[in-house]
Amino acid sequence: MGKMRALIEKEVKDLLRDPRIYIGLIIPIIMLPLMGFAISVAMKSAENTATNALTIAFIDYDETDVSGNFISLLSDMGLKTVKLTNESLSRAIEEAKAYGSQTLMIIPKGFGETLLNFGRANVEVYSIIENIGISSAGMQSAVDKVLAASSEILSSMLISKIAPGVNPNVIRNPLNMTRYTVIRNRVMKISPQAIFGQLMMGYGIMVPLILFVLSITVTQIAATATAVENEEKTLETLLTFPVSRYEILMAKLLGSSVIAVLGGAMFTGGFLLYFQGFFGFLGLELGFEELPKVLPSPPPETYVLLTISLILSIFFITSLGVIIGALSSDVRMSSSLLGIIIIPVLVPSLMIMYGDLKTLPLALQVLVYALPTSYPMIMSKEMIVSNIPSEVIYGIPYSAALTLMVVYLTSKLLTPEKLLTLQYKLKLKRVRGKQKPML
Amino acid sequence: MSKDRIVEVKNLVKHFGNLVALKNITFSVEKGEIFGLIGPNGAGKTTTLRILATLLLPTAGYVRVLNYDVVKESSKIRPLISYLAEDAGTYRNLTGYEYLSIVARIYFRSKADAEEAVEEAVKISGLGERISDKMKIYSKGMKRRIQIARVLMTKPKLAILDEPTVGLDVFHAQYIRRIIKEYASEENSIILSSHNMLEIERLCSRLALIHSGQIVTQGEPQTLKDEYGAANLEEVFLEVVRLWGK
Repeated sequence: MGKMRALIEKEVKDLLRDPRIYIGLIIPIIMLPLMGFAISVAMKSAENTATNALTIAFIDYDETDVSGNFISLLSDMGLKTVKLTNESLSRAIEEAKAYGSQTLMIIPKGFGETLLNFGRANVEVYSIIENIGISSAGMQSAVDKVLAASSEILSSMLISKIAPGVNPNVIRNPLNMTRYTVIRNRVMKISPQAIFGQLMMGYGIMVPLILFVLSITVTQIAATATAVENEEKTLETLLTFPVSRYEILMAKLLGSSVIAVLGGAMFTGGFLLYFQGFFGFLGLELGFEELPKVLPSPPPETYVLLTISLILSIFFITSLGVIIGALSSDVRMSSSLLGIIIIPVLVPSLMIMYGDLKTLPLALQVLVYALPTSYPMIMSKEMIVSNIPSEVIYGIPYSAALTLMVVYLTSKLLTPEKLLTLQYKLKLKRVRGKQKPML
Repeated sequence: MSKDRIVEVKNLVKHFGNLVALKNITFSVEKGEIFGLIGPNGAGKTTTLRILATLLLPTAGYVRVLNYDVVKESSKIRPLISYLAEDAGTYRNLTGYEYLSIVARIYFRSKADAEEAVEEAVKISGLGERISDKMKIYSKGMKRRIQIARVLMTKPKLAILDEPTVGLDVFHAQYIRRIIKEYASEENSIILSSHNMLEIERLCSRLALIHSGQIVTQGEPQTLKDEYGAANLEEVFLEVVRLWGK
């Protein structure tokens, strides 16, 4: 145990102090909140611009009290209104632009009469787009909101005129629906859209994305840690120490995992701060606070299974990382190999993230179930509905066996004879027989 | 194998695919001696030392280190030997002291023994306060000194040194040669390889000259010089290679 502790200490210290590693860990916690903040500031500024200088230019062909009152209503709701005199559309647009308005409204003749006869009155609204950006979108959205609100006020006035004393909202929306959603025979007082919306934002995107990033980070760290041993020529010495290959491998796996979990935590923190900045502006919830109120907490056994599948998955991909690193003469080579190997391993996780596994073709399902990295993804989705799928129950022993096999093969590869012979052969291939490598 | 025989190699053969790196080499190292392997690049010196260090397996032949078989009993050999590779690197982000301390904890069970070994290694390295610096800022000579200290602090029965002074300036090389000479004793033996004939002549009690995977001659430096009528080992080497070519 003392030997293992010493080896793990070596791994963790050497990795944590390596700029190639710690810069990668620090970047998400700095960059993601900065990105969220920048987007939030840009959107807030656009909203302020929109609400402060919201101008609507109009041509009133109706010229009745009703159309006049309608324009006054818009003014009362905060819009700056500008009456235009040009009768040609193109000239009117130019005039509206000259007044700084991005909206031109044309009230046709008969507007007032139609409304008084309880008909649907036509109004033409032209949005003048000068640039494609958040501020422009915000301004148009703000105008639409005011117009929709004014339409609602007109509707209330008309309803009150026809049926005094009746609540206009009842006429407009006579059905009072209480929505329930049934998941796995559990009845919950919530609309399915709310669940899907929150699941998409929270568990559908956040959790799988974090697992995805964690997987890439852990593999990269393990591959880099081992490739650095080759690059700096320390592996040969390490392999002559009185420690077993398992101890060397386990120290690498544990050391890399510790750093990767730290990196995963920093990424999660950065990502949450990014979302907070981004969604704070929109007034949306992230989906983690509301959902537990209606959905019961997943039972403890689902957490246990998620943890087991996660540990197995991390060990599996860390072993892959060690293999990649061991076969690489330097870090650059390991980075190239990493992309080639890790992407096919993680693609099935994307299928789980964005698709319904059971609807996939059989060949793809086999591929997904073959990889231990798929099970934490499946589990994180299913545990929301407190479900333990049978494929996870069978998949965990299978993952454990496969992971053990990969760990065993990796430890076999770490025997100096195989590694040095393999590296020698790779060297020989590279020089293509022109020059024999040094022995 | 005699009790005083630390290394015994008989008819050792090593193949790398189609390449024959070692062809039936035979030699032995006795207790307390410094044995040298000399030869040109690619002669098979490093392959021989890697087999003794339990890094590579022989294709054929008989190799015993400290009375243990290198194939079947490598785990018994490793705690008793220490190996310095020709291009042994250091962990850039660890300090010299941390590195020595980690290695000591791997070799020694007791904390006190490990601490004593580290203190000894710090003295051997001669790095003074620089021992607390990260090794990435060490010069080549400092890195080699820390590696020599690492090798000797574990008090190996057999130290296997592949080109211990390669690439070092005359001061650092002299310092390391002195440490190697001091370490060899009745209990401790050393096998080393070098291109530097002068170094071998000064350090080694016996040597083997290896060429194209074969030992072409071996013996005490003076005996070899007398045998070939040479003034120094360099002349012995050239003469042997010339005769071998015929």
